[in-house]
Amino acid sequence: MELGKGRSSVRGAWGRIVADTETNTPTDPKSFEDKDRIRTAGFSVGGLWDQYGSHVVTVVNLICFFILWEVFARSGVVNKVFFPTASGMFGTLWEGLTRSAPPDAIISGQIIDHLLYTLRTLSIGVTLACLLGVPAGLLMGGNRYVEKILSPYVWGMASLPRIALVPLFILFMGFTVKMQITIVTLSALFPIVINAWAGVKTTEKSLIAAAKVFGASRTNIYVHVVLPYTLPFIIAGIQQGIGRGMVAVIIAEIFGGSNGLGFLITRAADTFNSELMYAVLLLLVIISLSFIKITRMIEIYIAPWRQQVVM
Amino acid sequence: MFLDVTGRDDASTNSGDHRGAQQPLIVAKNMTVGYKLHRERKLLTALRDITLTVNRGEFVCLLGPSGCGKTTFINAISGIVLPWEGTIEVDGAPVTGPGPDRAMVFQDYALMPWRTVESNIRMPFEFQKLGMSKQQIDERVERYLDLVELKGFEKSYPYELSGGMRQRVGIARALATEPTILLADEPFAAIDAMTREAMQSELERFVTKTRQTVVFITHSIDEAITLGDRIVVISRRPGRIKEVLDVNLPRPRFDQDVKSLPAYSELRERIWSLVKDEALSGAHGEE
Repeated sequence: MELGKGRSSVRGAWGRIVADTETNTPTDPKSFEDKDRIRTAGFSVGGLWDQYGSHVVTVVNLICFFILWEVFARSGVVNKVFFPTASGMFGTLWEGLTRSAPPDAIISGQIIDHLLYTLRTLSIGVTLACLLGVPAGLLMGGNRYVEKILSPYVWGMASLPRIALVPLFILFMGFTVKMQITIVTLSALFPIVINAWAGVKTTEKSLIAAAKVFGASRTNIYVHVVLPYTLPFIIAGIQQGIGRGMVAVIIAEIFGGSNGLGFLITRAADTFNSELMYAVLLLLVIISLSFIKITRMIEIYIAPWRQQVVM
Repeated sequence: MFLDVTGRDDASTNSGDHRGAQQPLIVAKNMTVGYKLHRERKLLTALRDITLTVNRGEFVCLLGPSGCGKTTFINAISGIVLPWEGTIEVDGAPVTGPGPDRAMVFQDYALMPWRTVESNIRMPFEFQKLGMSKQQIDERVERYLDLVELKGFEKSYPYELSGGMRQRVGIARALATEPTILLADEPFAAIDAMTREAMQSELERFVTKTRQTVVFITHSIDEAITLGDRIVVISRRPGRIKEVLDVNLPRPRFDQDVKSLPAYSELRERIWSLVKDEALSGAHGEE
C-alpha cells in the first residue's frame, strides 16, 4: 500500500513537469498556469499586444525621434550644413537607393552603386576570413602543437588595431580593391579564429566522457561532440567578424579609393552635402543591424539550446 | 508500463539464482589510479590500493566525501581511465577501454544538447558496433523510451525537459544497449528531493527487471542504504576503501516501515560515524 502511494506521487511530480514543457498537452489540468490560459484563450487584445507590442513601441519611439529631429533642424539653431532635416536625409537616401548612375558616368554619385560595391568587398573579405579562420581555429583547439605554434601570432594580430595596417597595405597594393579586401579579411579573421578555438577548448568534458563511455572513437568525438558544440561559437565569431569587417571596409574606403560608402562619406563631407552624409550613416546603421539580426536568427535556428542558456 | 525487458542476449548470464551464486563480475586488485594535471605538471593519485569484488547482479553503492575518487573508480571500470598499478577485470578480462558491456549515467546528465531525446538514446548504437539491424535498434530505442515513460517526448530537446526527465533520458540511453554493468555517478544529485525518491524507486525497478549489476556513486547515506546490496565507504583522497558493509534489509526500502526498522537506523549511525571523520577532516583541506 505504501508503495502504491509512492507511485502516485511519481505521477504527480511528472505530471507537473509535463505541463511545464509547453510542448505537450498537460496530463494534469490543475497544473495549468493562469498566464498560459490567458495566452491560449484565442483572439484577444492581450494576445495581440503580447505579440506585436514591443514592435509598436519601437516604431512610435523612432517616429517621435525623427519628428523631434525635423523640428530641431528646421528651427535653425544649428546650421543646415552640419545638421540636415530628417526629411531631407530620407529623401536623399530614397533617391540614392532607387536611382542608379547612367552607364557612361565615370564615378557614380548614387548611393546604391557605392552600397553594392561596399557589400561586395565586405562579403568577399568575410568569406575569405571564414575559409581561413574556421579551419585554423578548429585545428588550434584540436591539436596542442598547432595551438602552441599559432597562438602567439593570433593573439598578437588580434590585439593589434588592424587599422594601423592600412598604410602598409596601401604601400603594398595601392588604392585597390585587393587592399580593401585584405584589410577586411584580416579584421574579420581573428574573432572567427578565436571563437572557433574557444569552442573546441570549452567543449564540456562530461559530453566527451559520455561519448567515450558509449564507444566513440577519436573521430566520432570530434565529429559528433566537438563540432556540434563549436558550431554556435563559430556563428558568433562570424557575427563579430562581420562587424569588424564593416569597420574595416569603411575605413579602407575613407583612406583610399574612389568607390564605396566610405568614399561617399568623405566626398559628401568635402562638398558640404550633409544630407548625403547623414543618409549614408543611417544606411550603415541599418546594414549593421540587419547583419546582427540575420546571424542571430541563424544562431537560434542552429543552436536553440544555447538561447536557453543565455536567457 | 511494465515491459518485459528480461529477454537478454547476454551469453554468459547465469540463468540460476544470480544473487545466491556470488559470481564475481568486477574484480579490482590493488588498483591505484590517478590523473596527470597538465597545468601544474604533476601527478595526482585519486585512488590508492583498491581491492574490491562486485558480484553479478549486485547493487553496490560507493559512498565518500567529495573529491575522494569515487568517480575515478567508476571511470576505471568503464575504461576511460586505466589503472597505474594493480589490475581491474570485468568478466575475467582486464579492462583496456570502454565496451558495450558497460554503460554510465552521469550527474549532469551529459546529454548532447543538439540531439533529440530519441537521438540521444540512439547514440550508443551509432558508436558501438553491436551487429544490430536498424529495425532492431528502432525497437530497442522505442522500448526504452517507453520504459522511462518518455513517450511523446521523442522529438523534444533536452533543454526543453526538466532535470528529472533529462536524467530519465540518461538512464534510457545507458540501459538501451542492455549492458551487463550499469555505472551511475551521483545520477540524482542534481534532482529535486521529491523527484529523486521517485527516480530511485524507478531505477531499482529497471535494474531488478534487467538483472543489471550496478555500481552507484552517492554522497547520500540514505540513498546508499535504500538502493545498495553492499555499501563501500571510501576515505578522503587519495581514496582507499575504509569499510564494506552489507545491507540486509528487505526490499523495496522506500516505505517508512523499513526506514523505521532498528537495523536501518543502526546501519545509518554506523555509516555516519565512518563518513563523519572524513567529511570533517576534508572540510578544510578540500582541493
